[in-house]
Amino acid sequence: MDSVDIVLCGLGGQGILFMTRVIAQAALDKGLNIMGAETHGMAQRGGSVVSHLRLGQAQGSLVRTGSAHFLLGLDENEAYRNLPFLAKGASMYVNADPKNFPRQEVRDFLAKRNVTYHAIPAGNIAMALSAPQSSNLALLGYFSAFSEGPVSKGEFVATIERLSPERYREKNLEIFEAGLSRGLEEKGA
Amino acid sequence: MREEILLGNGAIALGLVEAGCQVVTSYPGTPSSEILPEVVRLVKSEKLDTYVEWSTNEKVAFDNAFAASITGKRAACCMKQVGLNVAADSLMSSAYLGAVGGLLIISADDPGPHSSQTEQDTRFMARLAKVPVLDPSNPQEAREMVGLGLEISEEFRVPVVLRPAIRVCHARQNIAFGKIEKNQSKSVFQKDPMRWAATPRFRLILHGELNKKLDQIGEKFEGLSRYNFHNLQPGTSYPLGIVTGGVPYAVIVDILSEEGRSSDIPVLKIGTPFPFPQKLADEFVSACEKVLVVEETDTLIEYLLRDRHKVLGRLSGHVPKEGELVPGVVHEILNKVLRDLGMEALQEDDTEAAELLKTLNLPVRKPTLCPGCPHRAAFFAIRKTRPKAIFTSDIGCYTLGVNLGAVDTCLDMGAAITMASGFYHAFEQDGVEKPIVATIGDSTFFHSGTAGLLNAVYNGARFILVILDNLTTAMTGMQPTPSLGIRADGSEGKAISLERAVAGCGVDFIEVVDPYNIKEMTQAIKKATQYVSEPQGGVAVIISRHPCLIAYRDEAIPEKKIVTVSDDCEDCNFCIDRFECPALYHDQELGRININRQICSNCGVCVQICPKGAIVEVDES
Repeated sequence: MDSVDIVLCGLGGQGILFMTRVIAQAALDKGLNIMGAETHGMAQRGGSVVSHLRLGQAQGSLVRTGSAHFLLGLDENEAYRNLPFLAKGASMYVNADPKNFPRQEVRDFLAKRNVTYHAIPAGNIAMALSAPQSSNLALLGYFSAFSEGPVSKGEFVATIERLSPERYREKNLEIFEAGLSRGLEEKGA
Repeated sequence: MREEILLGNGAIALGLVEAGCQVVTSYPGTPSSEILPEVVRLVKSEKLDTYVEWSTNEKVAFDNAFAASITGKRAACCMKQVGLNVAADSLMSSAYLGAVGGLLIISADDPGPHSSQTEQDTRFMARLAKVPVLDPSNPQEAREMVGLGLEISEEFRVPVVLRPAIRVCHARQNIAFGKIEKNQSKSVFQKDPMRWAATPRFRLILHGELNKKLDQIGEKFEGLSRYNFHNLQPGTSYPLGIVTGGVPYAVIVDILSEEGRSSDIPVLKIGTPFPFPQKLADEFVSACEKVLVVEETDTLIEYLLRDRHKVLGRLSGHVPKEGELVPGVVHEILNKVLRDLGMEALQEDDTEAAELLKTLNLPVRKPTLCPGCPHRAAFFAIRKTRPKAIFTSDIGCYTLGVNLGAVDTCLDMGAAITMASGFYHAFEQDGVEKPIVATIGDSTFFHSGTAGLLNAVYNGARFILVILDNLTTAMTGMQPTPSLGIRADGSEGKAISLERAVAGCGVDFIEVVDPYNIKEMTQAIKKATQYVSEPQGGVAVIISRHPCLIAYRDEAIPEKKIVTVSDDCEDCNFCIDRFECPALYHDQELGRININRQICSNCGVCVQICPKGAIVEVDES
């Protein structure tokens, strides 16, 4: 099937669902079909939260192991936990300390599969902008800097503007921009 | 054209309003909980007058919808699969009585299980009750099947079940809106006691009627090619065919297409597993040497296929008998079957990542109560005051009190109370006075607590019942409870006093405490303990009342307390073992406990629990 498959993961309360919504809405606005799967109920209470998103032609809502093109992780360990979903040549973007990411044991695995990885201290960036719960937007901004996937930076910005509740709108965009400039710096370097 | 990315439950809600469903009732339960709120959203945006209610339990929801149906209106009740157990009495009986306006029972399954006590298969409940069941593969199909179900129900005058599984309910898909119009039908009740109040003699006649209806519906399903179809090429025979339906259908189609095997392995999709489209299935099976059945979560289709020699599935050991059929599992099933039949296998799934994970020692993340959760404070006090008690508990967030050693049992909705009285009598018979503390949430108490409490009091049981009143139905997404006086559409309802309901069950000891004050909570438990063993004592009820932090973000903690861990901490781990707040963690660098500010709720309860007094409040000023 012809779809771009994305796995988004982290912990309950980190805003995985909002991040998923932004990507999905932006993709729909470009005319892509959307299929996705979310975690609700007991699993949300402090546990691992995973969201699958398939943009394009897909029947099922779950991404198959070995076929995700992108992995966006708001927690380093949760990103590792979802490694089996990565396809060969995939990219991963993780909220982690760039100096120590990824763990040594994981490096060979990623190299063998041609997986490129990028780490951003999204939690610290959000914290510095006094919105500790918004690491999701920092990570999304960072991801958008690398122009991978079907949605452009500008389209993300427009969608965040539209979907954010009014009182968080400005803050959300500020944090997205902070993640974006971090990514652009890295890309330029 | 209006197009939105809807949750499967939103697509179902859209189907309901598009089909002119005038009454929608529900009791929340994962994965069905969002259907009713989505109906409310559409009713408001489209200015409809659909009647919606959060019913006190699933049986209540069912009966309310049933009554509306027999006045000629289209009605639906929504619940999770185990909720249908609660409504089973109504389901079985209503199958005989029939429907007038379309009656749709939406019962959401939870293969996995992700948030349920069982993996039971609603299709079997429908088969048991002898009512038609529709099994959608994705949100769009679920939305269409809502309308289909209501039409069939109306045409054949029989209740119809829609079984969306969790990957339909909690899938998201872009859905284009259709026309939504207000249904102007008015209620008319035609008295017919031989039907609506049928005695056993008439029940036999009604049973015969139901059987005839099923034959006719079965005929209709044979030709329902939008939902029951296969892709056999005429005159071709195949070594293997796949029979599937619901969510596994979508998974199978994706895999076959990705692997370029769509043309050599035909698929029969069954969207209406009961009454079973037998002729269509026979046609498919006769063109294949073997057929593999891939269905969730039990073996309904597998039982219904007649040529037993050809059938592979759970009974032949090819399909796991428990757990969700996620794409990776289905891929493995297909490969095992292909190899067993000497056919070309699919690309092997790479297991290296799974092997790697085993070596990484990733933290085990069990679900926990949120930081600041009032249940945690209540459980801490309960365990501290009655360490040797049997702790019966119930269904809700607070089942997670198991992490604090304050939950020993969880059977089903309401069983905290009924099992407490059961334990009491079992031990009392031996002359043993066993301490028992039951915990139940406010919504669960209203759902099925009162009958058990009344029974316990009447039959002289003695135990402490703590009603964990967080003023919401937290686990399923913050639906209002009867004690709030807020109805499903946000309008005002009559608030039911929990205290009065408890007193009405005959309870003489009722204390209301804020569990954030551990000392007061402890004192209340001590007082209750005394009452339970007094000659005139009985069931003592403590209402542990503090708002849920998620539902009442701004009000739940009126005085935020900044806390820190001082150097007095001896790293004894007591706070982590007994209090288990996710914000408390062992800091490797400091060699003691520390607080994770990113998730701390500033409730300040932990200041009261450290045996060394090492968790202290910081004076911000």
